[in-house]
Amino acid sequence: MILLDRVTVIYPNKTVALSGASLHIQPKEFVTIVGASGAGKSTLIRLLIKEEEPTSGKIIVGSIDYDTIDKSNIPHLRRKIGVVFQDFKLLPNLTVYENVAFALEVSGVKTKEIKRAVPKILQLVGLSEKARHYPGEISGGEKQRTAIARALVRNPKILIADEPTGNLDPKNSWDIIELLLKINRFGTTVVLTTHNKDIVDALKKRVITINRGRVVKDEKVGKYTL
Amino acid sequence: MITFWRVFKSGFRNTFRHAWLSTAATAIMVVTLLILTFFGFSIYFVQTQLKDVQQKIDLTLFISDDAKDDQIKALQAKVLQSTGVTTVQFVSKADALKRLENSSEEGKKLAKSATEIGNPLPASLEVKLVKIDDIGAINKTIRGYPEGAIVTETSYDSRDDNRKGVIENIIRISNAVTRVGGILSAVFLIIALLIIFNTVRMAIFTRREEIEIMKLVGATKWFIRGPFIIEGSMYGIFGATIAAVALVPISRVVGQFLVEKLNAGTAVNYFGANILLIVLAIYAIGIFIGAVSSWLAISRHLKL
Repeated sequence: MILLDRVTVIYPNKTVALSGASLHIQPKEFVTIVGASGAGKSTLIRLLIKEEEPTSGKIIVGSIDYDTIDKSNIPHLRRKIGVVFQDFKLLPNLTVYENVAFALEVSGVKTKEIKRAVPKILQLVGLSEKARHYPGEISGGEKQRTAIARALVRNPKILIADEPTGNLDPKNSWDIIELLLKINRFGTTVVLTTHNKDIVDALKKRVITINRGRVVKDEKVGKYTL
Repeated sequence: MITFWRVFKSGFRNTFRHAWLSTAATAIMVVTLLILTFFGFSIYFVQTQLKDVQQKIDLTLFISDDAKDDQIKALQAKVLQSTGVTTVQFVSKADALKRLENSSEEGKKLAKSATEIGNPLPASLEVKLVKIDDIGAINKTIRGYPEGAIVTETSYDSRDDNRKGVIENIIRISNAVTRVGGILSAVFLIIALLIIFNTVRMAIFTRREEIEIMKLVGATKWFIRGPFIIEGSMYGIFGATIAAVALVPISRVVGQFLVEKLNAGTAVNYFGANILLIVLAIYAIGIFIGAVSSWLAISRHLKL
């Protein structure tokens, strides 16, 4: 469950990124957040992984109230939420396998468990063949699948995908979206932000539209309208 | 424990995967360590040389031929009680002649003619001092004693202005070397730290995105910082190894030169006898510089 209650973010230069935004996402939902550049989508994502603090308002994810969380617990919080970014954010000097394993290593998972879990998840995203390649040696779509594998390997309840198809061609984009749908069917809440109208319209899932820091539309089966 | 091992492994792995950065940082580490070693040795060398010279200097009190034995004994006892004096040795007229005889071929001839005219050499008291700096003051004190009346002149007296000047010069140089050497060593260590710190900082700056990603994936500060500190220590270990290996031929050539040309046996022997300790010190300094500069360089990237 993700709950934002009248969340406002004002930057030091007085830019209002979010203004009293409220939304409620149920477990196992697949939600797409759309909005023009600068509408506040990225701010919303950064709030959820606590890269940013709200100026006012309340954020609750799962059973965690973000107001009460201690600074030293932020790494632990981030381990519970899987995040995928437009620019992949893979570690360039680690192989595909090592990048995925890294997410488990930081969580203190036993080596034996890592050796069992990583190949399984690489198979799920279709990257078993590329396990020993470095990020510089694979395509954009493969990089994004690596990033998804890394986000999923810890079995998060929530997967946040911030414009995951922004750097990909249509074919690869659809592969990624289908992968996200598959993950959602396994029971993971998926929050997707995108600019891609074709994808949003074809998904026929809940769409939340943000404009100038406000939630202006929230439809059960939505379309991409700005 | 599992985390510690992972941090260690990851630091080790990164050192080899960032081969170019590691090479650059190691090269600077080698140069820094060699310079520090030479600098330390130079200071030690100059100090041992000065100490050698200082030990050869003492204050000689020449005694009048008219002086009686108990007068000389009284003076000897009085001088021995003075502060800053370690030993006082009596050299009789006959001893002085014997010394001259044994000193060289020339001395033998001189001693022979001296015997013929009835040994004009004076008896003397040889005074060893705790600190050579005090020689002027002690000389003055002794001449002020009533027992000092039997002293005709001393090695420090005006008879030999030149020698007095030399002694004072040695005192001055010795003090200056110790003081300047200390300051220079400190300055040098700071410069070395800054150079390495900057290299590591640049290395980390090119990888700040990596640090960012690690944070996003949920790595704790220690999980991010640890491998970098291991990497910094590795530069220290590699640098120290290369520096130590390079030291063997260099010290042989330089050591030989110092022994032959400058008669620097003491310092060179010291270096040879303590080579293990010196190599260990080089490793310790290398690891210390590497680890501390990595720690400092990464800290500013670690704010969550």
